Amino acid sequence: MSSSEKVIEYSRKDLPSVVGKLGIVLFVIGMILAVLAYMSDPVRSAFNNVILLEFLTSVGLGALFFVALEHLVGAVWSTPFRRIFEILSAVLLILPLVALPIFFHVHDIFHWTHTDVVAVDEILQQKSPYLNMTFFTIRIIVYFAIWIIFYWLLIRNSKKQDKTKDQKITRINARISAVFMPIFAFTITFSSIDWLMSLEPHWFSTIFGVYYFSGTVVVSLAVGTLLVIWLNEKGLLVKGIKKDHYYSLGALLFAFINFWAYIAFSQYLLIWYANLPEETFWFIQKWEGSWMIFSIIFLIVHFGVPYFGLLSQPSKMDPKRLKFMSAWLIFAHIMDLYWIVMPTFSPDSFVFGWIEIGFIILGIGIVMVVFYFKARNTNLVAIGDPKLQRGIDFRL
Amino acid sequence: MSSSVPDYSKNVSVIEGKPSLRSIDDLISKPLDTKPDKKYYIALAVTTTMLMIGAIALLASFYYGTGLWGNNNPVGWGFPIVNFVFWVGIGHAGTLISAILFLLRQKWRNGIARFAEGMTIFAVMTAGIFPAIHVGRPWLDGYLFPYPNQHSLWVNFNSPLLWDVFAVSTYFTVSFIFWYVGLIPDFAILRDRTKSKIKKTIYSITSLGWRGSNRHWQHYEMVYLVLAGFATPLVLSVHTIVSFDFAVAILPGWHSTIFPPYFVAGAVFSGFAMVQNVLIFIRKIFNYEHIITIDTLEKMNKVILLTGSLVGYAYAMEFFIAWYSGVQIEQFTFVNRAFGPYAWAYWIMVSCNVLFPQLFWIKKIRRTIPLMFIIAVLVNVGMWFERYVITVSSLARDYLPSSWAYFTPTLTDLSILLGSFGFFFTFLLLFTKTLPVVSIVEVKAVVEGSQPSHKDH
Repeated sequence: MSSSEKVIEYSRKDLPSVVGKLGIVLFVIGMILAVLAYMSDPVRSAFNNVILLEFLTSVGLGALFFVALEHLVGAVWSTPFRRIFEILSAVLLILPLVALPIFFHVHDIFHWTHTDVVAVDEILQQKSPYLNMTFFTIRIIVYFAIWIIFYWLLIRNSKKQDKTKDQKITRINARISAVFMPIFAFTITFSSIDWLMSLEPHWFSTIFGVYYFSGTVVVSLAVGTLLVIWLNEKGLLVKGIKKDHYYSLGALLFAFINFWAYIAFSQYLLIWYANLPEETFWFIQKWEGSWMIFSIIFLIVHFGVPYFGLLSQPSKMDPKRLKFMSAWLIFAHIMDLYWIVMPTFSPDSFVFGWIEIGFIILGIGIVMVVFYFKARNTNLVAIGDPKLQRGIDFRL
Repeated sequence: MSSSVPDYSKNVSVIEGKPSLRSIDDLISKPLDTKPDKKYYIALAVTTTMLMIGAIALLASFYYGTGLWGNNNPVGWGFPIVNFVFWVGIGHAGTLISAILFLLRQKWRNGIARFAEGMTIFAVMTAGIFPAIHVGRPWLDGYLFPYPNQHSLWVNFNSPLLWDVFAVSTYFTVSFIFWYVGLIPDFAILRDRTKSKIKKTIYSITSLGWRGSNRHWQHYEMVYLVLAGFATPLVLSVHTIVSFDFAVAILPGWHSTIFPPYFVAGAVFSGFAMVQNVLIFIRKIFNYEHIITIDTLEKMNKVILLTGSLVGYAYAMEFFIAWYSGVQIEQFTFVNRAFGPYAWAYWIMVSCNVLFPQLFWIKKIRRTIPLMFIIAVLVNVGMWFERYVITVSSLARDYLPSSWAYFTPTLTDLSILLGSFGFFFTFLLLFTKTLPVVSIVEVKAVVEGSQPSHKDH
């Protein structure tokens, strides 16, 4: 070791309790609204529940993806705030609870669960070895179990390293991540097929899993970026996180917005061009009545604004701009899910009311509450990570 | 597994040892200063012979017509399109390495970027031959470009085949400029060290008056960054549009929404395999082993593993969705691919693209040169067969069973394919003797201690 070894300046401080309080308030309001919603309009609520579930999956699983990605490629620049993503991925733990109410309303949202409908529908009969309640339930349980196991393995090791500073753990985590990645690719794909694509059981698209993944990485990175900048400004993270790190987060966000647009465009153009009725109806649905306006606004919100908002070099380093764009992209992803899910519920025009607002508040409340309680008794920086000093020294 | 844990707290230098700047100049410009040896001429003889065989086959095709090829009805897209897609794919690694890895600040790219860019340019040139000859009457190729003419003949702007013309030519232009801009400081170094008058004149012109002043460097870095920004979407767009050639059609096996990212991944996959193959020779012959290190090759192998897995994911999705769609002909197409008359090609494709690259999970294999060489060769075989499977097997079994046919390549087809390899490698060999195959200035930038460090205040 050289003589220039520096001491890492970090002392653990608790999150300001306002996060927890605000989170609990949002959670309680959202919960009350959701319960009322289920009482007044259970079908619409169940559809909103799917959006909520997929939103939380995106945030939690996406965060775990970034953690695994850092381990796998040996990234250094993100080490000083990897712990934020680790804490965020704890959202995965509550997914089963969020999914539970949907199971009581599967017949309202999944057309293919009706045996009498399937009996007269030749295509659905062919699909029934995959699309049936038993296999569906098993698959959902398997996804949750796999994600939670990998969450537990990766995060437990990382926390252990805080104390032991053992370099071996870095290698073990890299290996776990290598196993996780292919499993992640297939579970995220099939879970998106199960929850989202099968809402229109006749529709199919080979790129759909990639499409959902592209939204997942955008939203989890946006939530992570927002938290990193905010916590860093509050001085709760390690000293030395600077513009170079912000720039990298911003650039990555910009890259993934483009990735999303690329995948969305590929899916749209190929279906539009080939013009096969068994595929086009999915897009036609989203172009009928007031859905057309929604679709146009959706494109501007999810691509147009963030593209120009993050295009220039200075804007990727500007913490204010980054925080704003991150918050913006969180809503853009909710819009994306709404755009996928709701045309099945209301084909003629899009609906937006207190039920939708209630579930959005609930989603944000859940993320805040989980983050607050998980962050309370742990370091906000992976202080035992051997790459930490290199990460702090990172320069563009 | 008893290997010791690496020290993660230390930066690992991209270049082994700490060569002096002078020694880097000498080493990289050595092939340009010395006369080539016998082996070089033998290699050149082999590649030019291959090139001549292809040229003769091509001339015969021009004279007698495309009936010399195996193309039939319904397989109208035979070898030329397969070869076109294959070579465009090879051309993807160069710009990926030089532009995308540059934007991602991957320093290990510095040693290999120049060479990969050169390969890109030659591969795109090779690819460009095939659509031009596939039209059957290449003297009418001018009509591919939209221009007002007496016959009021216009191209079909709705066709991805036309978008290809624009995409590939734009890609070639930008790649070429990017490559040239990267060469300017190196030309200046060569100009300053050469003793030959002719060379001095040539390098003076090509280095555009570069003096290495602070201002020059500032502008240069900015231009390089902007060009990298331009080149990045271009790399993705080229193979995306190539995939559209297939995917916009309603032929089962072609129309699949995953085609764009899947083709891009496949292109990067084969391109990296080709770059890795050739670099293994270059680093040995020119003694660049400390510049293009085993670590660098290992990283390339990781990219091959990643992209190969992505391609495998796409195969799996296509198969699953074909079944899930419930569309009879979709299901038939994929069963036919795996168990029909082209099953042999299909299984070559799957084993070379999906199975063998998985061996790169093992670190030892990633770092053993003969093994990685073999796997990368297999990858290119597999990627060629992928295009063969997609193009031929879908056309040979279309909607109308009465029109089904089997495609058999002729000797002319094979000769033209051989010729394309001859064309590519001839250019590559000439490149190694006329230009620095490794960027002198970029390598100097990653020698240990060359960058200001914030650590030792």
